[in-house]
Amino acid sequence: MSTPHSDQPAHVKHYFVSSEQQFDAAKMGMWLFLVTEILLFSGMFVAYTIYRSWHPETWAALSTALDWKLGGLNTIVLLGSSFTVALGIHHIQKGNKKGLIINLILTFLFAGVFLVVKYFEYSAKIEHGLLPGAAFDPHGISYGFDYATYNVPYGPQFFSIYFVMTGIHGFHVLVGMGLFAWITRKAIRGDFSAEYYTPVENCGLYWHLVDIIWIFLFPLLYLI
Amino acid sequence: MSHTEHHITSLKTLSIVFGALVFLTVFTVFTAQFDLGAFNVPLALAIALTKASLVVLIFMALIWDNKVNAVILAVGCLFVVVFISFILLDTEYRGDLSNTFEQTLMDERLEAERAAMGDTEAAESQAADH
Repeated sequence: MSTPHSDQPAHVKHYFVSSEQQFDAAKMGMWLFLVTEILLFSGMFVAYTIYRSWHPETWAALSTALDWKLGGLNTIVLLGSSFTVALGIHHIQKGNKKGLIINLILTFLFAGVFLVVKYFEYSAKIEHGLLPGAAFDPHGISYGFDYATYNVPYGPQFFSIYFVMTGIHGFHVLVGMGLFAWITRKAIRGDFSAEYYTPVENCGLYWHLVDIIWIFLFPLLYLI
Repeated sequence: MSHTEHHITSLKTLSIVFGALVFLTVFTVFTAQFDLGAFNVPLALAIALTKASLVVLIFMALIWDNKVNAVILAVGCLFVVVFISFILLDTEYRGDLSNTFEQTLMDERLEAERAAMGDTEAAESQAADH
């Protein structure tokens, strides 16, 4: 295929005027997608707001059922992964391909740590019957604590909201790991440079949004 | 080639923002130890909003970015506010209308509590009675 803009770099599609225009268009598309993601999560935050305001005593009793130490650890892990994404973009903007690869791998590993912590949290809840809806059946004793005390009215609804919100967020983390595996491979192959790093930029934006969702989930579910 | 250079955020700025985010995380855990009554939720939300703003403005570089992206995000956030506030206008003020009888409210509350306790059969049979 002949290109009408033969003076353009290889990564520029023929229907864009310049590399800059292509970059801006891709980024604007990403921001539009991020807004749909915000609206997706806002439905769950609305459910949270209504149930919390109707049953504050349930929230007071059950937010202690979530381990703030594990939630806090995961917050730091995700913030760290956002930091490494930002560092990676900084490095590739300066043409440092090795810096990009190292930071992409670190981001992938942080995302993995987040999911491992989440696995331990979920398994403890499943073991003691802290489950959504009809499956809600708190039981068992751990470290001298009787889980039956969590059997409060509207407990099933609290854990429905907890599992749906953290579950869909966790799925986004999993998708993010896939994305970072893909762009790490591309980075190692040498696809990116200071002139072209659009997929890194857009995956980074996605990842920061996943971090922001958790920034709200952590205090709302674990702390208050 | 390109008429505008992309903004490159310095390592120092990125590190300071990361430090601030970690500090705010510790701070929100710290403040959650105290019962501030009605201020518990607003304070936690204010800290979370501050953290989210730092991520959006610096890590996502929106502050240096094409302004159209800021408009897109602002419109999205506006609709979230409309979504939450308009629904609260309903759910927070149910039964405040003068034509709602006290007995109706008590019946509804009882039904909801039975349903919440997992006693769905009782709720269903009550619903069937109506």
